[in-house]
Amino acid sequence: MSMSKQRSDSDRVSRRSFLAAGAAAGVTALAGCSSITGGQSQQERAGVAGETLTLTTTTSTYDTGLLDEIHSGFEEMYGVTVDAVAQGTGAALESARNGDSDVVMVHARGLEDEFLRNGYGVNRRDLMFNDFVIVGPEADPAGIQGMGSATDALTAIADSQTTFVSRGDNSGTHTKELNLWEAAGTEPGGDWYQETGTGMGEALNVANQQGAYTLSDRGTFISQRSEIDLTILVQGPIEGGPESLANPYGIMAVNPGVHENANYDLSMAYIGWITSPGTQDAIADYQVNGEQLFFPRAVSENPDFQQYVPEGWSSDDTEE
Amino acid sequence: MSLDATVHLLPALVDLPFREGYVRSIVYVSLYVSGIAVLLSTLFSIPVAIVMGFTDFPGKQVVKAIINTGMGFPSVVVGLLVLFIVSNQGPLGPLELIFTKEAMIISQFVLATPPITAISLAAITGVSDNVREAARALGGTRLDTALVVIKEARYGIATAILAGFGRAISEVGSVLIVGGNITSAGGVSKTRTLTTAIQLEARQGQYDTAMVLGGVLLTLVLTVNAIVVRFGDAGSMNR
Amino acid sequence: MIRLSNVSHAYGGEPIVDDLTLSADPGEVVAIIGPSGVGKTTVLRILALFTQPSSGRVELDGQPAWAADEAERLALRRHVGMVFQEASLFDASVARNVEYGLRVRQPWSDRLREGLWSIAGSNGTPGAVREALDVVGMGDKVDQSARSLSGGEAQRVSFARALAYDPSYLLLDEPTSDLDPRNTGVIEEAIREARDRDIGVVVATHDMHQAERIADRVAVLLGDGFTEVGPAETMFESPTDDRTRKFISGELVY
Repeated sequence: MSMSKQRSDSDRVSRRSFLAAGAAAGVTALAGCSSITGGQSQQERAGVAGETLTLTTTTSTYDTGLLDEIHSGFEEMYGVTVDAVAQGTGAALESARNGDSDVVMVHARGLEDEFLRNGYGVNRRDLMFNDFVIVGPEADPAGIQGMGSATDALTAIADSQTTFVSRGDNSGTHTKELNLWEAAGTEPGGDWYQETGTGMGEALNVANQQGAYTLSDRGTFISQRSEIDLTILVQGPIEGGPESLANPYGIMAVNPGVHENANYDLSMAYIGWITSPGTQDAIADYQVNGEQLFFPRAVSENPDFQQYVPEGWSSDDTEE
Repeated sequence: MSLDATVHLLPALVDLPFREGYVRSIVYVSLYVSGIAVLLSTLFSIPVAIVMGFTDFPGKQVVKAIINTGMGFPSVVVGLLVLFIVSNQGPLGPLELIFTKEAMIISQFVLATPPITAISLAAITGVSDNVREAARALGGTRLDTALVVIKEARYGIATAILAGFGRAISEVGSVLIVGGNITSAGGVSKTRTLTTAIQLEARQGQYDTAMVLGGVLLTLVLTVNAIVVRFGDAGSMNR
Repeated sequence: MIRLSNVSHAYGGEPIVDDLTLSADPGEVVAIIGPSGVGKTTVLRILALFTQPSSGRVELDGQPAWAADEAERLALRRHVGMVFQEASLFDASVARNVEYGLRVRQPWSDRLREGLWSIAGSNGTPGAVREALDVVGMGDKVDQSARSLSGGEAQRVSFARALAYDPSYLLLDEPTSDLDPRNTGVIEEAIREARDRDIGVVVATHDMHQAERIADRVAVLLGDGFTEVGPAETMFESPTDDRTRKFISGELVY
């Protein structure tokens, strides 16, 4: 009897010490774990490390290849990944509105202003600009070569009823084109006005095949110049043409007050990085076929308040 | 192919090797997304086809109608529906599936299931009742009998799976909308498939590169078909 | 013993059997005869525990079949083998067909393991399979595809398939109706072999001569629920009931 009691006592003791040893091992392991995850390398101290930033932008911006060129700098600096989604102006803003992206980069000031007014976006900055050009066949049947007014050129095309290819897809380019028609006081329509509903590259191909005119952003035109027979007939402001053909780009962060899970920290890091002197220089250095595509705008000695608010807004405006 | 066309495509072909990591990564994404979608769809569709083939339940006609409609459902519409669901504003928003391969798998699952189910159903109901009876009479459980039917219908089922795979790997509408056609800055695809890559080249007017990628896609589909058919033949030779 | 006690069953409003008592013991051959369409298949399906009769008792080895649940009934059914008029072989090799009954009676862990082995290489044919094929003289066609067999060969394989897992009872539904005399002979010989192995055999046939050749006992179905059961000699030489006598003499004329 006593022997068995002794044995059970020692069993109990050994079990207890086993548990204690186990607990000690567990605590040590956990401590080890936390020291691993709290590792102190330079990059990992940044709170955003390992995260992904979702950026929505237009197809023409993406297709220039600029973003692929400069993004690795940002990714390395913070140890993050940038997912650039090329959707087209409307879709890019819609994604941002829904909270499916964290930061949005488009070139449609009117739509950007609406985005700000509705509270979906914050911290807008002017980013860069390029311009549009009116291109067409060398023969130039409407005689618009060298005109200093984009609206006059469009009127001439409409009057001569020469084929004009429109993107017809509510993109930034298409919006600009419609604004110009409106400013010219002409409503385009008829057999000579063709809406393709495609991207810029395809639209240029269509125009090329038909010897037609079209409005293109300079960047896409430069990329395709070698493959098509169209030439620039009306320059944009970069080469001395009218201001009406300017194409400014803006960037906005998705408002974390509207979408709690928007990656606001990382968006602000991105906006800070892309508007920094170093990156703005890199943007200026980016070339396609030996030509500069984008002209930086974010860094300036002089104040520019209009970039932060909808155009024409003043503190006297009543809140909507 | 005419000499002219070949010469025209040569620059694009020469270009491609320099982007080999790129092409490899988009082929991988295409196969990964469509492969898993078809696998999941098969695991779902075959039991559904068995139940539909051998039992009667209320609403069976409705299910049949849904399957038949689903066969012709436009991929872009499926993409929109899945977008509504996985968007931040949608019911699955918290899962953060938007612009991921997982969302693409979901939409391709929806696209592949109707053809796989319908063609499997045809194959399964084509198995004679006598064979089913025999399987049961020899002591098989319901599961045994179902397995016998599946084995008897295996060629039809393989056709169904190939049809589903074909539908998935060659569609562009849904994966573009829910995936976002994303690659890393270095050109490694995250959600870009062969079809969305072709669409991208085409919208940039780079028709030559688009054609080459189209050739890669075609070769891929033919290879998969050949492998599946080969397995079928090998099976029959063993008998 | 399989026993039907006071079983009545109607099909589509037509009575098939009325108050039928029929049994089959191990080691005997019972023939169910009657004109085509009279319901022999239905009686077989009742014996096979597929169809529940409208009234009466069905017992297998003393256990009531329809008081039990589906799983218990399956266990009982596994003592029975069946051969149909059409061979209904699976689209696979002869060996895989004959092996089916053995396979489904194995536990899943064994089945999965054997499945993996067979992917790696050939498993070899289980002895029971070869043995069953030898009974019907198809031992040399083990690896042949079932699709390539003639009608007679297929039916013989179908017999081996039912025999391979050593059932206690064997039910055959018009097994030789579509066969030539040679194959019919092989099947009848195989039936005798089964009986010698103490299997209880029930054969439905419309061929009276066949019944004469192989049966120990006979059940005559004449429609409208009428049946008469008795030893073979009595049935064929001096049947008691008038209708039976007319049927037998009428048939035997041919």
